[in-house]
Amino acid sequence: MSDSKYITLVSSEGFEFVVLREAALVSPTIKGMLRSQFSEAQTGRCTFPEISAVVLEKVVEYFHYWYRNRDKEDVPDMDIPVELCLELLMAADYFNLDAKPAMRDAV
Amino acid sequence: MSRQTRQQRRIMGPQSALTDFLASHNISANQIRLDAETRRRAAENQQVDAHDGSNTQASASAAPAAATQAVSASPTPAGRPRRAAAANSRDEEARKREQKAIDKIKASKKFQKRKRGLDSEDEDDLARALLQRSAPLPGQQDNCESCGTRFTVTAYSRNGPDGGLLCTPCSRELDKEETAKKKKTKRVSGGAVGRRRQLQSNILDGTYALGAKSLMTLCIETLAKNIDLAEDLGDLPPLIIDKIARKLSKHRLLDARTLSLFLQPTTEEVQIYDGAKLSADDFIRIFQTVPSLKKLKVRNAVHFKDQVMDYLLSRHIELEDLYLHGANLISESKWKEYLQHKGAPLRSLRVYFTDKHFGDEVLAILPTTCPSLTRLKVSHNQRVTGGGIAALGDIKTLQHLSLDLRNELHSDTYVDLLSKIGANLQTLSLTRVNGADNTVLNAIHTHCRSLVKLRITESEEMTDAGFVRLFKNWANPGLVFLDLQKCRQLDSARPRENPDGIGLCSNGFRALMAHSGKTLQELNVHACRHIERAAFEDVFKPNGETVFEAMLKLEISFCEEVTDFVVGCVFRSCPNLRELNVFGCMKVKDVRVPRGKILVGVPNARGMVIEGDDDEQ
Repeated sequence: MSDSKYITLVSSEGFEFVVLREAALVSPTIKGMLRSQFSEAQTGRCTFPEISAVVLEKVVEYFHYWYRNRDKEDVPDMDIPVELCLELLMAADYFNLDAKPAMRDAV
Repeated sequence: MSRQTRQQRRIMGPQSALTDFLASHNISANQIRLDAETRRRAAENQQVDAHDGSNTQASASAAPAAATQAVSASPTPAGRPRRAAAANSRDEEARKREQKAIDKIKASKKFQKRKRGLDSEDEDDLARALLQRSAPLPGQQDNCESCGTRFTVTAYSRNGPDGGLLCTPCSRELDKEETAKKKKTKRVSGGAVGRRRQLQSNILDGTYALGAKSLMTLCIETLAKNIDLAEDLGDLPPLIIDKIARKLSKHRLLDARTLSLFLQPTTEEVQIYDGAKLSADDFIRIFQTVPSLKKLKVRNAVHFKDQVMDYLLSRHIELEDLYLHGANLISESKWKEYLQHKGAPLRSLRVYFTDKHFGDEVLAILPTTCPSLTRLKVSHNQRVTGGGIAALGDIKTLQHLSLDLRNELHSDTYVDLLSKIGANLQTLSLTRVNGADNTVLNAIHTHCRSLVKLRITESEEMTDAGFVRLFKNWANPGLVFLDLQKCRQLDSARPRENPDGIGLCSNGFRALMAHSGKTLQELNVHACRHIERAAFEDVFKPNGETVFEAMLKLEISFCEEVTDFVVGCVFRSCPNLRELNVFGCMKVKDVRVPRGKILVGVPNARGMVIEGDDDEQ
């Protein structure tokens, strides 16, 4: 299971999102969870009790959006719903999605 | 056809302005009129046909209708006025006509198709609905769908959202809405040129990255766009709040209202990147709402004046970090008063662009009033001269010192200063020191032991030998940031010759890389034009045996000797290099840039920036 190409992210309400592992690794938080000896690394299943499904869905959308565009120039911006903006900002902070993702990936 | 109509137009004489306008857009008004007329005629003919064709057939069907009419009419009193009877018969005629039309519709194919699954009773209703929906033709009257007024249908009448026709004012309204929508979509797209320009701009700003923007950037951009909707930023971490503040300043969005978002009673730092729209009362409000303020940063603090300082003095706030940019209206006496009363906890003081009122006298009292000052930055203040700088030597706690002065100081002032406080300095930045000479470099060599960041720019006196002496056997650990831009000889008569070795030249460059090459992250030798090609090749060895892991950004613009080969060697020797600037290096012509690295300033038609996509290196 831990070697699977996909991992499962679980929201506070118990909604499950199956995400491409490589895409989710853009977040150092998730990377840390999966690298260590924590149970997440064995099961490939990360639970986020503080994050609602609506926000997590958007985060997952971002993971794939980032993954699709990781080598492209001049990428069109992803649409962020205004009403979710602040919550998503908190989530972005939680997932450590603040530096330049492309650079971090190279390291 | 079009030829024919054009000929017709020619013999029609004078034209209206509208016709001319339409003709200029290749639209023939005549054609429109003709089309409309044909349509109207066709419609009339059809109606007449319907009349004639169904007359014979209707005579049979009309008889029972008349009979029922007679029955229903029988209770009416006999003495009824004639006119009523006439109206009655007109009604009857109208009803008959409607019935006929309904019959016709019932016979049509469309009706047969729609009828499926309906019983005969609904048939009439459906037929009537279809009859109503067939829109009136140009020249006829109709009620407007949206406002209900009666109007004459023209060829230009527009359809409303439910399919009915609209009167002229309503049509105009609809037009307006649609053009507004079109305009909006246009502005968003920006075009290929706009996008390319934005990309170049990002690269030169240093904010360029391959791939998508980070989620946080996206969120902050959205937030900045809709900042007027936000009432409260909630308990976001200070780092994010700072990012939002930066983004807002970019669009000049910070005003009295948005300022409130950043003023939370619990916060300890307020950073305002563009205070140009804030009034003195707004600044006072900062101190009112944030009682535990420790760190204040205001750029363009135009209205941060004596009155605000007075208020700050009257409060219990003890700032540890004060950064003021452009606060011209604070008088010298107020600065002194502030430092005397509130100087004790101050650790960092940065003052930019205060023309006249932050001078020697203020600097002179710093050693006594600010016993814990570690960081001092004075930039663009016309009143600061050697006397004030000399006084800084008494601030023994100072670790970071940045000076960018308007008045030229003698080198001895710097030497004296460095001999007193040099040992603890981590940052030394001397910007635009034309007169500073080798004695300053010697002083740095002798006294500085913990420097991390060093900047000496635009010196016309320092020599290559001086730089060699500085870096050779310097007990200071390797620097992380070094900026020696424009330390070069300025002789317009013989620009190529440099017999005295003025400025940073080959040997100085070798010495500095030998000393700090392994630790340097950012090196700027902009316009040090006497560094020879051999020196570059010695440092960035072609076989790649010396590797500078730490180097992230290198600026070698206007170093004339830089060639394609040197640039290639730099890329090989600095594996983590992100950006290399080579403006004005005319010998750089066609260079292969490794993937993910940026080369800025190549003087060729490919443009200023080459983003590497060469995988082989």
